[in-house]
Amino acid sequence: MPGTPLDPAAMARRAAQELFSGAVAALGPGLPRRLPSQLPASGGVWFLADGGAVGIQGPESDTNAVDADGNTVGLLSGGAFTGVVEIAGILRGGHTDLAFLQPAQVAANGDFVHWTTAATPGLFAPGPAVDMAYGSSRVVALMPHQSQQGRSNIVERCGLPVDGAGQIDIIITDVAVMTVGPAGLELLELAPGWTVDEVTAITDAPLTVSSDLKEMTFDVPVLKPPDKIYPTAVDALRDVPEGATINVDGFAGPGGMAHYLMVGLRDLGVKGLKLISNTAGVARVSGFGTPNIIDHSILVENNQVAKATASYPVSPSASRPSAFEEAYKRGETELEVVPQGTLAERLRCGGAGVAAFYTPTGAGTLLAEGKEARTIDGKEYILEMGLRADFCIIRGHKADTLGNVVYKGTSRNFNPVMATTAKITVVEVDEIVAPGQLGPEEIVTPGLYIDRIVVRPSDFSAYL
Amino acid sequence: MASVSESSAVKGKVYPSAQAALEGIFDGASVLVAGWSGRGEPEKLLRGLAGTGVGDLTLICQGAWVQEAGKFGIAELVAGGQVKKMVSPLPFHPETGGPVKDLWQSGKLELEIVPQGVLAERLRAGGAGIGGVFLPTGVGTRFAEGKEVRQFDGKDHVLESALKADFALLRARAADTLGNLVYEGTGRNWNPIMATAAAVTVAEVDLVGEPGSIDPESVITQAIFIDRLVLAD
Repeated sequence: MPGTPLDPAAMARRAAQELFSGAVAALGPGLPRRLPSQLPASGGVWFLADGGAVGIQGPESDTNAVDADGNTVGLLSGGAFTGVVEIAGILRGGHTDLAFLQPAQVAANGDFVHWTTAATPGLFAPGPAVDMAYGSSRVVALMPHQSQQGRSNIVERCGLPVDGAGQIDIIITDVAVMTVGPAGLELLELAPGWTVDEVTAITDAPLTVSSDLKEMTFDVPVLKPPDKIYPTAVDALRDVPEGATINVDGFAGPGGMAHYLMVGLRDLGVKGLKLISNTAGVARVSGFGTPNIIDHSILVENNQVAKATASYPVSPSASRPSAFEEAYKRGETELEVVPQGTLAERLRCGGAGVAAFYTPTGAGTLLAEGKEARTIDGKEYILEMGLRADFCIIRGHKADTLGNVVYKGTSRNFNPVMATTAKITVVEVDEIVAPGQLGPEEIVTPGLYIDRIVVRPSDFSAYL
Repeated sequence: MASVSESSAVKGKVYPSAQAALEGIFDGASVLVAGWSGRGEPEKLLRGLAGTGVGDLTLICQGAWVQEAGKFGIAELVAGGQVKKMVSPLPFHPETGGPVKDLWQSGKLELEIVPQGVLAERLRAGGAGIGGVFLPTGVGTRFAEGKEVRQFDGKDHVLESALKADFALLRARAADTLGNLVYEGTGRNWNPIMATAAAVTVAEVDLVGEPGSIDPESVITQAIFIDRLVLAD
C-alpha cells in the first residue's frame, strides 16, 4: 500500500531546498507560488513576479503586488517594481538561476506541456512559462505525479504540442524527485512511505534508480543575502583577469563615471583590457566632471587597454587628442566604433538575452560594412549583435546592501543598461543604506544585477 | 505620435471623457491594452471603446480574465463581439475560461498565442524602432513554427518581428498634464512598454497634477509617449 502523496506545502518545502543564497527564482502559476511563504523573508532569495516585481513574498491581502496567478503578495524589504519587458530580460538574459513551473506534463527528455490538457484539446496558454523555461539556468517542474484522473503526468514522450523542448532539469512531485539527463529520468528521492516499485508503477516513463536513493526531506534552508560590500575598489576588482572585457559607464558630461573603480583597475595594473564605453576617455581633454583628471585615460596611459568599443572614441578637439586617440595612432590599441544608440541597444540585448537585432541606424554607411543588411517592411536595417562583458563598473548615487541602486539626474545614462550585461557588476556609490531605504517604486537597478558595492570617496586627491 | 486637439475641453492632454479620448478609433484597429491577470485594466477606456461601437478589433494584451459583477474588462469587451482577434500569452484563464474561450471554440474569435516575454520584446522592438530580434525562447516548439531560426554562439534563436499598434490603452496611478506617468506596484506591468508601441496612446489615471508634480527621477513613462489622458471614475 503506497504512502500518502505529499501536500502542496511539503512539496514547496522540498522545492525550496533547490534555492541558494542570492538565487534569482522565477515562479510560474500554481504550486510554485507557494515557495515564498515557506522561507523566512531574509532577503536571501529574489523571487520574481512576471507581472513586474523583484522580491515577492507569500500571499498577503491588500498589497499592490500580484504574483503569477494574480493573487496579492507581499514584497521583500528591498524588493522593487519593474515592468514586463524588464522581467523578460531578467528571465532570458541569464540572470535567473531557477525557474519553478507546474507543467501539466513532463517527458523523459525534458520536454514539457504547460497548461494544455488532454481534456481541453487545442487550449494552450504558455504565459510566462516558455520564457522562464528557456531563460533560467535550471528549471524545476513542481507538479503532482498523477492527474486527477489517475494518469501519469510523467511520460516517455509528450502526446501534446510542447511549450518547451528539453528544458526541464529536475522534477519534484508529491511522491518523488527525479532528474532529467541525457539517459532519461533518474529517481533520486522517494516521499516517505513510498517504494521504488510503487513510484515506477505510476510513472509512464522508464526510471533509472540512483545508487544514492534517499528519502525526501522537508527542511527549509536559511538563506542570508550574499555580502556585496567591499572595503575598497581594488578589493572589488582583484579577480579581473588579463584580457577581460569591461563595461565602463559614464557619459561625456559631469557626474556619472565610476572614477574610484577606474582608479582601482589602474592600481591593479591588469593588462589587455577591452573596454566597452560611450567614450574612450574625453573627460580630461574636455574638462568634464569631477575630478576630471580621472577617466579612461588613466588606464590607457598605464598600457592596460587593448581595445575600446565606443561611440565617441576621440577628443572633440583636434589640437588636444585624448590618450586613447594617441595610443590608437601608435597602433597600441584596437577600436570598434558604434553609434551611441546602437551601443545602448547592443548592451540592452546582451543583458536581456537577445542574440541580435535589426536596427535602421547606420544602414548604407561605413558602419554597415560587413554586416547583414535586410529590408523589413520596405525599410533597410542592419544586423547588430548583443554585447556582453566579463565585468562592469558603474556609478550609482545610493545602493542598499542588497544591491538595489538609484542614480542622480543624467548620471543615470548607461549605468542601468550596463548593469545587466556583465558576469560581475560592481557599483560605486555615494552612500550605502539598509534594505527598505530605497522604495520599491524608486529603485532603478534591481539588486539582482549587482554583485559588489564600494563607497566612493568624496575626495580623490589620494588617488591622482 | 498624434497631435492633441486644441479643443477648450482639453486641459493639456486631459480629455473630458473616454469617448473623447478615443476619438479616431476605427473598425479593424489594433489596440494594446495594459493589465495583468484581470487586474489593472483601463476600465473606463474599455467601456468607452465598447461605447464607440467599432468592430473587427485586434486586441494585444496579457489576457482576458472575467471580471467580478459590475466591473468591465477585456473579457467583457470581447463578449460584446467587437473583437476579431487577440494576441496574447494567456488569452483566458485555463480553468475558468470565459467569453474568450467560448468565442474562440465556436470559431468567432482568432487567437495568436505568444509567450509573454516574446510579446514584451516584440512590443519593445516596435516601440524602439528595431526591425526584428533573435530570441532563444520557444526553439523547438510551435512558437517557432514558420519562423527563421539561426544559431548565435552555437545556440538556436528564433527571429521575432516587431509589433506596433494603432492605439494603446493604459492604466496609471498618476499623470501630470504633460502626460508623464507613474504607476503603483505591479500595476506597472505592460504599461511602460505598450506606451512606446502605438500611434495613439491613451492613459487612464487616478490623479492628474501640474507639470513638476512628479519628481523627474520617479517618472516611469515620459510624456513624449502619451497623447491623451482621461481620469478614471
